[in-house]
Amino acid sequence: MNISVNDCTVSLYPPMTTVRHALLTAGLMEEFESGKKVYDEWGNETGLDGALQEGAKIYVR
Amino acid sequence: MRRHLVIALFLVLLLISAGRAAGGQRVVSILHINDFHGFAEPYKPFGSDELLGGIASLASEVEKLRAQRPTLLVSAGDMIQGNNWANLFLGASVIELMNEMKFDAMVLGNHEFDFGTEVLRKRISEARFPVLGANVGGLDLIRPYVIKEIEGVRIAFLGVVTEDVPLTTHPRNVSGLSFLPVASTVEKYLELLRGKADIVVLLSHIGHAADRDLAAKVNGITAIIGGHSHTKVLNPVVINNTVIVQAWEHGKALGRLDLYIEDRKVVRAESGLIEIRPAREITDSAVSRLVRKYSEKVDAVLDEQVGEALTDLDGEHVRSQETNLGDFIADIMRQTAQADAAIIGGGSIRTSIKKGKIRIKHVYAVSPFNNYIVAVRLTGRQVREALEHGLSAIDEGAGRFPQVSGISFSYNRSAAVGSRVRELMIAGLPAEPAREYTIATDDFLAAGGDGYKVFGEAVRASKDFADVGGTLKGERLVYSNAGKWVRDVIADHIKAVKIIAPTVVGRIREVKD
Repeated sequence: MNISVNDCTVSLYPPMTTVRHALLTAGLMEEFESGKKVYDEWGNETGLDGALQEGAKIYVR
Repeated sequence: MRRHLVIALFLVLLLISAGRAAGGQRVVSILHINDFHGFAEPYKPFGSDELLGGIASLASEVEKLRAQRPTLLVSAGDMIQGNNWANLFLGASVIELMNEMKFDAMVLGNHEFDFGTEVLRKRISEARFPVLGANVGGLDLIRPYVIKEIEGVRIAFLGVVTEDVPLTTHPRNVSGLSFLPVASTVEKYLELLRGKADIVVLLSHIGHAADRDLAAKVNGITAIIGGHSHTKVLNPVVINNTVIVQAWEHGKALGRLDLYIEDRKVVRAESGLIEIRPAREITDSAVSRLVRKYSEKVDAVLDEQVGEALTDLDGEHVRSQETNLGDFIADIMRQTAQADAAIIGGGSIRTSIKKGKIRIKHVYAVSPFNNYIVAVRLTGRQVREALEHGLSAIDEGAGRFPQVSGISFSYNRSAAVGSRVRELMIAGLPAEPAREYTIATDDFLAAGGDGYKVFGEAVRASKDFADVGGTLKGERLVYSNAGKWVRDVIADHIKAVKIIAPTVVGRIREVKD
């Protein structure tokens, strides 16, 4: 499935469809580990193990 | 106690235009958590110097609120699997905790299935509260809904879990079960509950985005209390007259949904999250005693001997050369996935084990991450590419350095990055560039961790996932067991064989030309 991380498209495949997998695929895991947080498209903070669905948009900031 | 009300309770909706009733207004608080995953003790999340969570503190908040007004306590799933406090007891500790906290209902999350249906049935039978799953077929102990009468109002809790459960756990864990479409299931039960309940609250383990889609599509749900996406819903939304909430994860927040009811109808709803931080004064509550009891058991279990090493197991040099511990773990992963070969990152191995007794805590220290085994079909060319990446930062001691099983190769560290691999053998034969091999690894590398791209590229070439003889498989992602961490697979293996003495056998050889 395709989701976007910081407005860049990332492809994920079950069961590897969590926020953690999205950040690993996008190469943004280190930013998270340095203290940045992940938010969904509505501005809600989401946990690293949160499940994503097709079309999800997340932001690391 | 440092109690943090993250948001003042929000006025979120007027569900029904208020026809004023004679009996006056009543308020019922529905308290909720989701995606607890056994995090009974406070912990410091990534990037935080502050301890958050702690189920004893959360339970104390629940009791305070119960003393104020009629209250129900529910869970939106993923309670019994996750960290050691839950996993080492196959979730029994969490059910005992939920019984002690007097939960009124929970819905199954996808991770409730991770220990298999036999264990799940046992956990459900131990629960002194209804376990819901309206769209789950084949599990006789669960119920689609439960109706709680409180303050003269009949509140139905209807439960649904993601239809993707078979994709997120090992197929054997859901053998014989079916997962029906969520929307049509909810519509069916809304119709059935008409006249039986005054209010319908959906306990949903489908994720926040899916909750929003569902609310837009299906009429008649008063509120959706969600889970699965670990979303910290500070500003609850109302879609199609349905209020949607979710309380983050790991017991770091307690959700509170206050329903103002007149004439058996909700006229107003307010919701918010109470962030949970450990409280010093909570040391002698029943819940804190229970947390301590199982934490001590965790320590005891971690101290259990699982086997014996007849030689030192080298986890120190895994970022620069083949080691016997790297070989040993890669072998276990290859065998578990029934793959042709395995490639793991040396960085996934964090320490050594000394010759002598091997205890579970030693294995957990070697492999502390919540990673699980997957297997991907790679061509011989892609295997070489993966190994080239693994060798690309060898002088920096990077964690990407490969440990392998079913593979042997030579390399020249002085050669240019991308052309260091020399001879490459897979399953004892020279690697064929176009031939496909099944390669076991962990989900961290497969998702691109440590810069490994080749696994993801291979999986992206998969066609749609398909049910092959009862097992859900992608064309190229041929094995996964998301419910079992690598460390537990290793511990189980050592328990089975009892004595180990792995040696370095020359799978990775440095050459000069």
